[in-house]
Amino acid sequence: MSGQHPLREADLIYCYDGSLAGFFSCVFESFARRELPFAIWPPEEEQPSLCPVQEIPTDPGRAGRVRRGIREKLGPAAAKTAAIGFLSGQPDKELALLRYLHLGFGEGPGALKQLGRPEVAEALGLVRSVEWEAEKYRGFVRFEESGGMLGAVIHPKNHVLPLLRPFFCARLGGEDFLIYDAAHKEVLLHQAGKTRLEQVTAPLSLPEPDAAESEYQQLWKQFYETLAIAGRRNDRCRMTHCPKRFWADLTELRDQV
Amino acid sequence: MEQSVMEKLTILADSAKYDVACTSSGSGRRSRAGGLGSCYAPGCCHAFTADGRCVSLLKVLMTNCCSFDCAYCVNRRSNDLPRATFTPRELADLTIAFYRRNYIEGLFLSSAVLGTADYTTERMIEVLRLLREEYGFHGYIHAKAIPGTSPALIQRLGCLADRLSVNIELPSESSLHLLAPDKGRREILRPMGQIAAAAAASREELTLYRHAPAFAPAGQSTQMIVGATPETDYQILRLTEGLYHKYSLKRVFYSAYIPVAEDSRLPALDTKPPLVREHRLYQADWLLRFYQFRAEEILDQSSPYFSPYLDPKCGWAVRHLELFPVDVNRAPYEMLLRVPGIGVKSAQRIRTARRQGTLGLEELKRMGVVLKRAQYFITCRGFTGASGGRGSARRQQIARALIDPGVFNAGCEQLSLFSAPAVQQLAAQGTPPRLAGRLVQEEAVQCLANTL
Repeated sequence: MSGQHPLREADLIYCYDGSLAGFFSCVFESFARRELPFAIWPPEEEQPSLCPVQEIPTDPGRAGRVRRGIREKLGPAAAKTAAIGFLSGQPDKELALLRYLHLGFGEGPGALKQLGRPEVAEALGLVRSVEWEAEKYRGFVRFEESGGMLGAVIHPKNHVLPLLRPFFCARLGGEDFLIYDAAHKEVLLHQAGKTRLEQVTAPLSLPEPDAAESEYQQLWKQFYETLAIAGRRNDRCRMTHCPKRFWADLTELRDQV
Repeated sequence: MEQSVMEKLTILADSAKYDVACTSSGSGRRSRAGGLGSCYAPGCCHAFTADGRCVSLLKVLMTNCCSFDCAYCVNRRSNDLPRATFTPRELADLTIAFYRRNYIEGLFLSSAVLGTADYTTERMIEVLRLLREEYGFHGYIHAKAIPGTSPALIQRLGCLADRLSVNIELPSESSLHLLAPDKGRREILRPMGQIAAAAAASREELTLYRHAPAFAPAGQSTQMIVGATPETDYQILRLTEGLYHKYSLKRVFYSAYIPVAEDSRLPALDTKPPLVREHRLYQADWLLRFYQFRAEEILDQSSPYFSPYLDPKCGWAVRHLELFPVDVNRAPYEMLLRVPGIGVKSAQRIRTARRQGTLGLEELKRMGVVLKRAQYFITCRGFTGASGGRGSARRQQIARALIDPGVFNAGCEQLSLFSAPAVQQLAAQGTPPRLAGRLVQEEAVQCLANTL
């Protein structure tokens, strides 16, 4: 991979299976043909378009070469940017990351530290928004207990479950729990010390809380409401730290939505 | 009749809510197989109350039955108030139930003085012992050291908790003497000194023996009440700086005094909590800890109070215009930190990026540097610094960019609790809040423009 030959803007749309390996296969294709596609689409985004669409098959061998190339030639920070940026829910994330990688391979890893370059700023912006949301969810996931199992539902903008996985598995290692990302139909399931992260086809829903569970929820709500000091009420400040879109999944704020 | 856990929780959370510290940072304890919980070094906020404060820990008192009679405190002996006391088991069970549901990061345990300081601390230790030893809990625990507790019990408490704190309560000895006759300054500072020494010794031991017991690995913090007594901002800031140096505190918290009692020694019951002042103190505290400022650079004897209209860093820059503008491509990192509008993250990004090539305005914007205020204090490639026009119009424009828009009621019909005292005064005299905000803002702009 090198940037000796100029990159050509192609009137072509790459279509891939939505996986990271699939995206890396697109990256391989783009470098091999020295072209920048007009767009890169995951499967659900297929729609009528003026540009021809090209299916890019997922090739584990090529994906592995891209992965190694990034790590060895661009360094661990760039590898992290690609991996975390890819978790973004933003529609054009693939193209943004592809531009970032072309810049890195074309001009060398130093170019990726030019934080004011549009390609770099855009990719790091993706990473920041994914990490911000994951950080919020480390605090905002609310489990309900039912039959010894802890269950939680979240509606994130980004695919945050891979980032929540090590956090909750360490913390609740001895428990059985699941976190269901209803926005992306993904579920993180931890049972008997084993963890799986997978897609689900049908939407999940948690069982109605039993008496003991309801009582704990009441205790928590009561604690939460008691803590606020009326003489300092500041709704704007609360909204900055905890935007309304999180409220529907929060035990203490659910009925204020 | 026996109180339910719900009743106890309500009473004891209500009694604890004026304690400000609710952070869970500074401890990175790993989880263990078979145990429950871990600590997350950056700290984690689990909820935000209607006043916008972070809820990180189950913050309650062990009991609010107090044998002390501190004038500023809701739990004082002479106050007629519902009282409650948790049993250690009840509190440990509640902590675990909340923690498993990810409501909290751990426990913040404080207490009124039940009988004696030692008896109270022994009960607190029992809660912590249950959590750590019986339930195998590895989450965060912040415990309050009660002034007057014997050193052996503080030592035991510190080995079970992640963070300890001793409240300094009031910023000077005379105020303490006046309002908290049962607490002496020495009784507050002695445990603080002991905690600092024990934590330092424990860190040293840990470098030698990996499994030595850690004493309060997240350090200690303190808090003081602002606005109940006549100390100046400068005195408070000097005290803060001294505490950071002498006792290696991790944090000093400030709490704007909210009138809780009719008492001739205290501000009248209708006094508004000095929230703007509290906010400025936190900003200055940040300057001490992360921006390499010293207290006497921020305030001094001749101007011992913060401006309600300017944040402390802007205030410093306006007094030192001769040092600006600075070239972002060359200025030392310490100087970047002193540019109004450039925070630690922006300064770090600039430092990384300028090694790879010179920066212009476009690059700075894309990196996320906010230029509203900074533009008057910097130069960069192709930019010699914003002038804002000429003469008095220029000075006005700069002044408008620098003053803190948050304290002028932000065009609201209702008077905000966070508006500057002058806005509150005008509004109290019958001026509509929105107009009051605008009038005070115009005056502040003029006033600042004249000094530029």
